[in-house]
Amino acid sequence: MAYVATRGGERAIEQSERLYRAELGRIDAARVTAVRQTLPMLIDRVMGEASLYEPDLAALALAQSGGDLYEAVLLLRAWRTTQPRLGIAEPVEQEQLVTHRRISAAFKDIPGGQILGPSLDYSHRLLATGVLQGHPFEPRPVEPAATPAPARQPSLAAWQKAQGLVADPPRAEVAPDDIPDLTREPLLFPAARAHTLQSLARADTGGMLALGYSAMRGYGNAHPTVNELRLAEAELRVRHPRGTVFSAGRVKVSQAEVMAKGKSGLLELGFCATLGWNEVKVISGATLDLNAPGAAKGSPVEEEFFLYHTEPVEASGFCIHFKLPHYVTFQSSLDALRGARGAAAPIPEQAPEPEEVTA
Amino acid sequence: MFDTRKDVQPVLDHADLLGLLARADAARLAALAERLLPALGAIEVVQSRTGLVMLPMRDTVQGTDFHLGEVLVAEAHIRAAGTEGYGMIVGRDLERAMAMAVVDAAASLGQTAEISAFVQHEAQEIAAADTARLREIEATRVSMETF
Repeated sequence: MAYVATRGGERAIEQSERLYRAELGRIDAARVTAVRQTLPMLIDRVMGEASLYEPDLAALALAQSGGDLYEAVLLLRAWRTTQPRLGIAEPVEQEQLVTHRRISAAFKDIPGGQILGPSLDYSHRLLATGVLQGHPFEPRPVEPAATPAPARQPSLAAWQKAQGLVADPPRAEVAPDDIPDLTREPLLFPAARAHTLQSLARADTGGMLALGYSAMRGYGNAHPTVNELRLAEAELRVRHPRGTVFSAGRVKVSQAEVMAKGKSGLLELGFCATLGWNEVKVISGATLDLNAPGAAKGSPVEEEFFLYHTEPVEASGFCIHFKLPHYVTFQSSLDALRGARGAAAPIPEQAPEPEEVTA
Repeated sequence: MFDTRKDVQPVLDHADLLGLLARADAARLAALAERLLPALGAIEVVQSRTGLVMLPMRDTVQGTDFHLGEVLVAEAHIRAAGTEGYGMIVGRDLERAMAMAVVDAAASLGQTAEISAFVQHEAQEIAAADTARLREIEATRVSMETF
């Protein structure tokens, strides 16, 4: 890489950081608490992309970065490396999820029924401008049903497999310690399915939406319908030194399956899940998963293309690194340009040879 | 665990006890631990730290287990009175994890009336909170008709 050492910027750099932080002002515990309590959807998005579940730390990262999502995710990914890995929990299965929302756009009458849960899907998108004129917006309370919903809901995919609507491939039992882990090993292609799904779980929401949307609009192989979408809480089941497996608490998770009619005469499903509640992300991710088999090299639904381009820290880091001094690169481009012009000037009728310019 | 039972058994099995301690009210758990401490004598703290637990999930399409992401937990491990106690809770509250470990150690020597009463009260509180939330969720159940 053609970087150049520069000198003389120390004071400017110091003042530049101060200028940025001065606009954010004093950050205290009260601000962090306010961020956590008032922006749960944003907290969830940041926790999912950081691949670190801790709402207070996510709120702190947002407060400290002034809401710059990529900075917040980077802060959390970096902080994560200071913590020891204490273990691997028992795998979460769909039917064990404490389910708050569970819908299907493909099937009206799904086993267990459709539960909207918390959602703005059917709301009018009206900005509550009265708040700015001193009229606080007070949400109306939920009118609870007489009986509670079942905490757990059956798996639609399992029912579809039992009905012979969806392929039911034999699954290999993998000990939790042997599950491939992107935090310990690189992403290589063709990727193990465990790597693909972990990478999607950590991926940038906006990037996944852009690529997933391209597939939804027709630049993919299959048009998705939401088979099942869930917002839920998963128990973190860990092991006591005496061997007892117990729940250390719950974390919010979202998962989606999208469906299309396959060439085999069966329904084909794509899957995506993430930490936190983030519907756009899991529907987009499941669409990419559905479209990936057989995708053309370099197409947005090809696994290598979408996994490489939706890693938030690498993508944003590569983008913003272009702001750092590239004077040697630019000087070489300029020299090539001037050289070409100089050579071209005396003989205007002859087109100059394009020169290979590399960074 | 999601406990909707009306009658809580006086003696819980170890997994249910630990799950309940992990969700118990922090202040009441700390108060119970304070009361149980004197009987445990000298305490050796083996571990008191935060750390990460990786959470795997099973894909519903191909049945592949994959890592969803890491959860920050607080962990406490103690030895006292010839037994050991362990606490792990989602979050970073080391005191809560330590209080859980103290109660776990005390309970391993016998679930006294004091511990049983605590457990029963917390189980009711947790069940009530879960039920209240699930009644709100049930209110959003939709029955769709196509024309």
